[in-house]
Amino acid sequence: MRPMLQHPVFSIALTFVFYAAAQMLHRRWRALPPIVLACVPIIVFLLLLHEPYRNYNRGGSVLTWCLGPATVALAVPMYRNSMPLRSSLPRLAMVVLAGALVGMVTAGGTAWLLGAPRDVVMSAVPKSVTTPIAIEVSRQLNGIPQITIAMVIGAGVLGSSVGRSLLKVAGVRDDRAIGAAMGTSAHGIGTASLVRHSEMQTTVSSWAMAAAGVFTSLLGTLLAWIMR
Amino acid sequence: MLDLVRGFLLLVGIFLLGTFLHERGVPIPGSVLGLLLLYGALLSGMVKLSWVEKAAGLLLRHMVLLFVPVTVGLIDVGGVVSRSAIAIAASLLVSFLAVLLTTGMLGQRLLARKASAEHLS
Repeated sequence: MRPMLQHPVFSIALTFVFYAAAQMLHRRWRALPPIVLACVPIIVFLLLLHEPYRNYNRGGSVLTWCLGPATVALAVPMYRNSMPLRSSLPRLAMVVLAGALVGMVTAGGTAWLLGAPRDVVMSAVPKSVTTPIAIEVSRQLNGIPQITIAMVIGAGVLGSSVGRSLLKVAGVRDDRAIGAAMGTSAHGIGTASLVRHSEMQTTVSSWAMAAAGVFTSLLGTLLAWIMR
Repeated sequence: MLDLVRGFLLLVGIFLLGTFLHERGVPIPGSVLGLLLLYGALLSGMVKLSWVEKAAGLLLRHMVLLFVPVTVGLIDVGGVVSRSAIAIAASLLVSFLAVLLTTGMLGQRLLARKASAEHLS
């Protein structure tokens, strides 16, 4: 049993199976994102079998590598959604850039003020943006990518559950402003929650999500260079 | 099917090109560099949307699958997380509100005003 469990193909297959099951469960429990539904059983499984993470990750790292091409693929929604936005794109870019900067400073700043160790502070910095880019920025800053992911998911869940109502209270009514806010603060999970409300919001949100990722990565590169 | 293969090859190729340039001294990570290269190539018409559309759609729809292994790695950092749990939770909440509200309110001022100006003209 052991040697089979440790084979890379087994852990890839295991991940596929739990991912598929998570997708099905997610259709029932909308509130829990598939990533939580997929990871919790895998973690329990590994703990029960006393299987170290590093063995699981021999296959897992193959999937992680694919995040590279998936990040490149973000150019497609960014391009497709930039077409209907053409004339307001420069202003939209400014809004998203401001949001990305505010996100990095407030996330890192709050963790630092509360006395978190340096690697945790750095893990918080990219927490607003889409996962593959957030992982990359976290690594550049010597953060802990796992913590970053947990926070990215948290931001997405917050955005999709209370984002629209908070914006309404704050007097934000314009479709483009709502889209920009959701894409910048809650990336893919937030964007997905707009789909059934408004096409314009979704378009702006998709563009903003990719752009926020790019801006955060550029700012993160700058920050990593300064801290060298 | 061939569409998908062509799309994947193109996405992987651009990612590798980005990684190569990164290793040669461009400070931006290879994947984000690849994103920018593909965005530029699409805008300029060098790459047609139809070449990459299907493969990109598939990868993005199932991106969650791709970050399961890293997330499972939370197993190994449980100690750090529980020691900083309050800082992590507070940082998440404060920063989420800050981003949502600045972007939303700035957007309302910059983007909505424009729409009404267009309407008047």
